[in-house]
Amino acid sequence: MPPKSEHSAAAGGGAASLVTTAASLPSDQASMDPFLHLLRLLPYSFLRPPRTRLKLPSSLALPSPMTVFSLVLLTYFAVVSGLVYDVIVEPPGIGSTQDRYGTVRPVVFLPGRVNGQYIIEGLSSGFMFVLGGIGLILLDLALDRNRPRSVRISFASFGISATIISYIMSMLFIRIKIPGYLS
Amino acid sequence: MGAKAAENGAKSSSSAPSPPPLKAFFRLKTKQQELLIRVASLALIYVLAFAVRLFSVLRYESMIHEFDPYFNYRTTLFLTRNGFYEFWNWFDSESWYPLGRIIGGTLYPGLMVTAALIYRLLRFLTFAVHIREVCVLTAPFFASNTTIVAYFFGKEIWDSGAGLVAAALIAICPGYISRSVAGSYDNEGVAIFALLFTFYLFVKAVNTGSLAWALASAFGYFYMVSAWGGYVFIINLIPLYVLVLLVTGRYSMRLYVAYNCMYILGMLLAMQIRFVGFQHVQSGEHMAAMGVFFLLQVFYFLDWVKYMLNDKQLFQSFLRITLTFAISVGALALGIGTASGYISPWTGRFYSLLDPTYAKDHIPIIASVSEHQPTAWSSFMFDFHILLFLFPAGLYFCFKRLSDATIFIVMYGLTSMYFAGVMVRLILVAAPAVCLISAIAISATVKNLTSLIRTKGKAPLAVSGKGSSSLKASAKRSEAQALRFRSLESAEAQALHFRSLESAEAQALASETSKAHEASADQSLPFQHNCAIALLVGAFYLLSRYAIHCTWVTSEAYSSPSIVLAARGAHGGRVIFDDYREAYYWLRQNTPADAKVMSWWDYGYQITAMGNRTVIVDNNTWNNTHIATVGRAMSSYEPEAYEIMQSLDVDYVLVVFGGLTGYSSDDINKFLWMVRIGGGVFPVIKEPDYLVNGEYRVDKGAAPKMLNCLMYKLAYYRFGEMTTEYGKPTGYDRARGVEIGNKDIKLEYLEEAFTTSNWIIRIYKVKPPKNRW
Repeated sequence: MPPKSEHSAAAGGGAASLVTTAASLPSDQASMDPFLHLLRLLPYSFLRPPRTRLKLPSSLALPSPMTVFSLVLLTYFAVVSGLVYDVIVEPPGIGSTQDRYGTVRPVVFLPGRVNGQYIIEGLSSGFMFVLGGIGLILLDLALDRNRPRSVRISFASFGISATIISYIMSMLFIRIKIPGYLS
Repeated sequence: MGAKAAENGAKSSSSAPSPPPLKAFFRLKTKQQELLIRVASLALIYVLAFAVRLFSVLRYESMIHEFDPYFNYRTTLFLTRNGFYEFWNWFDSESWYPLGRIIGGTLYPGLMVTAALIYRLLRFLTFAVHIREVCVLTAPFFASNTTIVAYFFGKEIWDSGAGLVAAALIAICPGYISRSVAGSYDNEGVAIFALLFTFYLFVKAVNTGSLAWALASAFGYFYMVSAWGGYVFIINLIPLYVLVLLVTGRYSMRLYVAYNCMYILGMLLAMQIRFVGFQHVQSGEHMAAMGVFFLLQVFYFLDWVKYMLNDKQLFQSFLRITLTFAISVGALALGIGTASGYISPWTGRFYSLLDPTYAKDHIPIIASVSEHQPTAWSSFMFDFHILLFLFPAGLYFCFKRLSDATIFIVMYGLTSMYFAGVMVRLILVAAPAVCLISAIAISATVKNLTSLIRTKGKAPLAVSGKGSSSLKASAKRSEAQALRFRSLESAEAQALHFRSLESAEAQALASETSKAHEASADQSLPFQHNCAIALLVGAFYLLSRYAIHCTWVTSEAYSSPSIVLAARGAHGGRVIFDDYREAYYWLRQNTPADAKVMSWWDYGYQITAMGNRTVIVDNNTWNNTHIATVGRAMSSYEPEAYEIMQSLDVDYVLVVFGGLTGYSSDDINKFLWMVRIGGGVFPVIKEPDYLVNGEYRVDKGAAPKMLNCLMYKLAYYRFGEMTTEYGKPTGYDRARGVEIGNKDIKLEYLEEAFTTSNWIIRIYKVKPPKNRW
């Protein structure tokens, strides 16, 4: 740690030393900080500190809103697929049942409870929800008149189909999961 | 927008002189029409929110549900009978025998005081209501108030259309209904209203910078602290929000005024609640707010110094020194506080939200509550339905139009969704945020679609000014085009200048007057008009499906009182099991007044409230060792259990048994938790003793310790003689689906006192010790 006078000011309990430029020898000797003198004696009488120039990278800018939004969308996907449930309860990826002949059949949706899932069913449902959200976002992007027309048409069609598919699939999933749904 | 509406109004009213009264509505100015529609919608939403929560009152009767509300009811009864000072200083010797409980200092009084005030008001207006009716209907009343707050909040964040949609969504959202149905007299019913209200007032204070709004938000925070332990969420979210605003460079004087006023006054007011006490300065969970408070002071100081100094270099160096100094002092203070023990660490309840695996390993009581389990996708779907798709879309719209208010709602939504993923119960806290953000998505999408439909017309249409921002960009372009034709239509160009914000209208005018008409027509999508109409119909279809889903979920899943069980009988008719109340009233009428009842902690509140007898442990679960003692008694052989019961002065033991009816939430199914909690304190109880190959069984192959422990004996006493199902042997347990292993049970130290008509509750009397050797 190079004994800059600014650092020593902080180390000395924030004493009111407004000399902030990098340490140079004349100002060291003029300082009345005991620690500085001690440090100069030992170990820095025989060790030479490197001349580093530490600066915060000026490229440390805030990310754009849309970058943050995509991260948020990923987190949302993780949460809504029941990732915390998977980590704590550790269910199998997919369930299995034996029918009367002894053959093992896979069971995708955990039956019997509302608050229980297998990992795969959670991930696929979470994907459906995010797909629906993306569909609506694409619909909004399709209205942006600055884009070329073909792009807008593809956005609109993909958005509409994504929304419809995700709604139908989610309804299908919930009907399989809860047998008495809407009856 | 107001100028456009007035212009429209002037047009419409000038077209017909003195209209007859019948047609007066259609001759109202647009602004008045809009106001009428808005007020009528809000009134209908208010009534809807109240009405949809009344299923159980209509099906059964007006009674309190579940377990916790019985404690709240008992304390409210005490408050109305004995006054506030007696209530505030109440020491209750009827629960947690022999320890007792300082009720005045260990509850959140907001709910009880609110209900008592409503009761007093109604009595003052000479409505002779019973306090139970007031308690039952408090939650739906506050749910209706929440919809009004949601409307104003939506208006603050986005616009009044989004506010209306938010109010409608939150009125029927199942995530909120689950804890605020009529009869669910619990803290959350009032707390969600207080939460949303405090957030609204704070966002309003940040937007306006007014001291009055900040003061109001401090009082809103006080109400929230008095109502629910979840106030910790507010006192951590708001500092986090302030921090995000500081990081994104949105520091302003408004933020400074709002946060300072709210934090200091809110903290002082919160210390008035005895249960909270000095936690705002002592508890680790509240330190974030204090840290941000000091950080804000540093920001203000730096801003002031920057203003005073004109030298940039000097200011930079001063900035570096001050920040280093401030951060080091803050860290040092935090370190000293934590190390010396003055600042207590995060309590287990809240720590398990940050580290969800903590409760499973360390605190079995927290892990055993079914509401504290993490959330699976189906619970989300059940409680939110289409709001799950609309949430990411709403987030997108918020990110497109970032402002102080939208940043807040995004943060509230994200943090509450994460916590909802950790614990099922916290879906309730996420519900308002999800409804608000989804309302933004719906409102923005519907506005886009309707603007598509309306811009097709040739006359300059009054399109609402807050269409998507993409329209603004194209408006600037068309404005530039219009300027080129200034020589021909100079008046139009000047009008365009003046109304540069009315984007779609400018575009319509430009497309009319300029030669770029063909170009703008080319920019629209094919079948735009029809497609938009179809999509609007689709949107309304989705919303109607949401309404159907919410009503179905409320009716089927969230309207059961839990104290009265219902099942479908053999011929499809509904069969009601009222065993719980039967047992509690038997206790009330047939036991001595000072009898002590031992049962598992789930039923404590109900026994004290309805049976009016002293209990050993109840739902407050503040003393883990006491509960472990009861758990140990239940899982020991009868002689050891008798010793424990003698030491606790127990007179009666109450057990819940579902083998005859197939009721699955009985004590045999909860038994492993008794073993775990008991074993957590008394190592003599070991869980593997009760399992066979890791499996929990009650039939012939069950572990011998299981077949002879007290709980087994009390649950299955005389059950071996019962035929429960046609074609099955006697002693067939319908809840577990097996024939029980030990049919010939003899009790040495207890005798059966009462069994309810469907064998759901069984009460045993503890015999006094023998007189002779």
